[in-house]
Amino acid sequence: MTAARVRAWLLRGWVALVMGFLMLPVVVIALASFSRTSYLTVPPRGLTLRWFAAVLGDPEYVHAIVFSVVLALVATIGSLGAGVAASFALLRRRVAGGAGVAALLNAPLVFPGVVVGVALLQFYAMVHLNGTLAGLALAHMVITVPYVVRAVTASLQGIDPELEHAARVLGASGPVAFFTVTLPLIRPGVAAGALFSFIVSFDNVPVSIFLLGAGQTTLPVKIFTAIEYGVDPSIAAVSTMLIVLTGVGLAVAERWIGFHRFV
Amino acid sequence: MKPGSGWRLLAPALLLLLIAFVVPVGMMVPTSLRPYVPLVGITGGFTARHYTRLVTDSYYLEIIGRTLALGLTVTCATLVIGYPVAFFLARTRSRGRNWLTILVVFPLMLNLVVRTFGWIALLAQNGLVNQALQALGVVDGPVKLLFNFAGLLIGLTHIFLPFMVLVLIGAIQNIPRDVEDAARVLGASWGSAFLRVTLPLSAPGILSGSILVFVLTISALVTPRLLGGPTYQVMSTLIYDEFLSRLNWPAGSAQSLLLTAMVLALVYLSGRLARRAGARA
Repeated sequence: MTAARVRAWLLRGWVALVMGFLMLPVVVIALASFSRTSYLTVPPRGLTLRWFAAVLGDPEYVHAIVFSVVLALVATIGSLGAGVAASFALLRRRVAGGAGVAALLNAPLVFPGVVVGVALLQFYAMVHLNGTLAGLALAHMVITVPYVVRAVTASLQGIDPELEHAARVLGASGPVAFFTVTLPLIRPGVAAGALFSFIVSFDNVPVSIFLLGAGQTTLPVKIFTAIEYGVDPSIAAVSTMLIVLTGVGLAVAERWIGFHRFV
Repeated sequence: MKPGSGWRLLAPALLLLLIAFVVPVGMMVPTSLRPYVPLVGITGGFTARHYTRLVTDSYYLEIIGRTLALGLTVTCATLVIGYPVAFFLARTRSRGRNWLTILVVFPLMLNLVVRTFGWIALLAQNGLVNQALQALGVVDGPVKLLFNFAGLLIGLTHIFLPFMVLVLIGAIQNIPRDVEDAARVLGASWGSAFLRVTLPLSAPGILSGSILVFVLTISALVTPRLLGGPTYQVMSTLIYDEFLSRLNWPAGSAQSLLLTAMVLALVYLSGRLARRAGARA
């Protein structure tokens, strides 16, 4: 019994250590963003909010934030439409070669992001889509649709197809049955898919960085290039904002839809 | 139900895939075979030179070797660090379980650039890790932890650890607790029950987690670029420079297709391995 006790405590200790390792960079950034110094230092010297003010007062950062949000919203709405329809078709309508189609939809996630990025760079240069919101949104949708399909399929598998059949028998048309019976039942999956899609689009660098036009930038690409120019506490401040937003978003998603089931 | 309604529902997704993925990636094949003359650009004709250079030039061979070595070490590191965590999360009945899982998911959801930025602050010459090592008397002067293998290994292990843990949790949860108990009842020590029952039964999870982490590591662009700088190159940062600084798109296309072929070969092989293991079981 004692040996089992020791093992249990060793295991807990290891888990605590690894959790600490996972959180380490997050904590370091959050601390560094409050430092009065103009260089990055941990633990922070003095306390100030001026780096946060600097970020929110910088039109380049503000434009990048707005552009990223708009792009992520467009990509999310688009991929919800295409993704929900695709998962419904793959699970409820017997499509010949459905497994192949599902694998094909997932392919953009298997391919290295940088390869998708440079392939689109060349293609968009030919069809004059480079530097356009539509081009960027299409590129993002290719990598967000698989997340929607996965989350929605998980939800759809958990509900009885007979419910929709019952609605049809009672006189509802196909679309009415889908929108009034099935869609409300798979809401957690749709919500999880939307959240994944928004985050994946908002965070993307390897595809966006090749497709942005002159004067255009998304927030992560802006941070990426800022780091390449030199590290300073305003990067830590904008990072801290993202940490807080991600944390709050994840906690809310867990409360509402039991988010961890969809990961 | 009308026939063909399934395909109509699939049409938007497939159309999207065609114009923003299949065609652009396919077009890299002819580009990779075009000659490239510095200062002139892409010229007519065909050449296999970009491919032969990748497998003969020592500069490229070193980068390819480094990329694969990183993939292998990061995979091993995440497996060794992550297995006990996954085991705990899969078996614990404590109420904090879901929130601990969320704690593993959190870094995954947090912006990749932000996470990597944290490691820059930690691994720099005057960063926290060097301060701690010197304070503890482990080293005399600052250790170089950025722009080399060690920095990339630490950063990438951190970035991909959650993937490994999540895959392993799923695999370990699928093992009925009873089989382990049965082994113990039949006289096996904890160690041999783990090594001969639990570990082999979680092998499918170990395989898919390892393939996932390996593939993600050799594909990663942001973390290697920020922690390795423009000098310590891996395949994806090489492709990035080929397209954005050197503007040698044919060479970049050949490198992209090689990297993709490596990734697809691994995914295919692991699929076959998993099927063979499944057929035997």
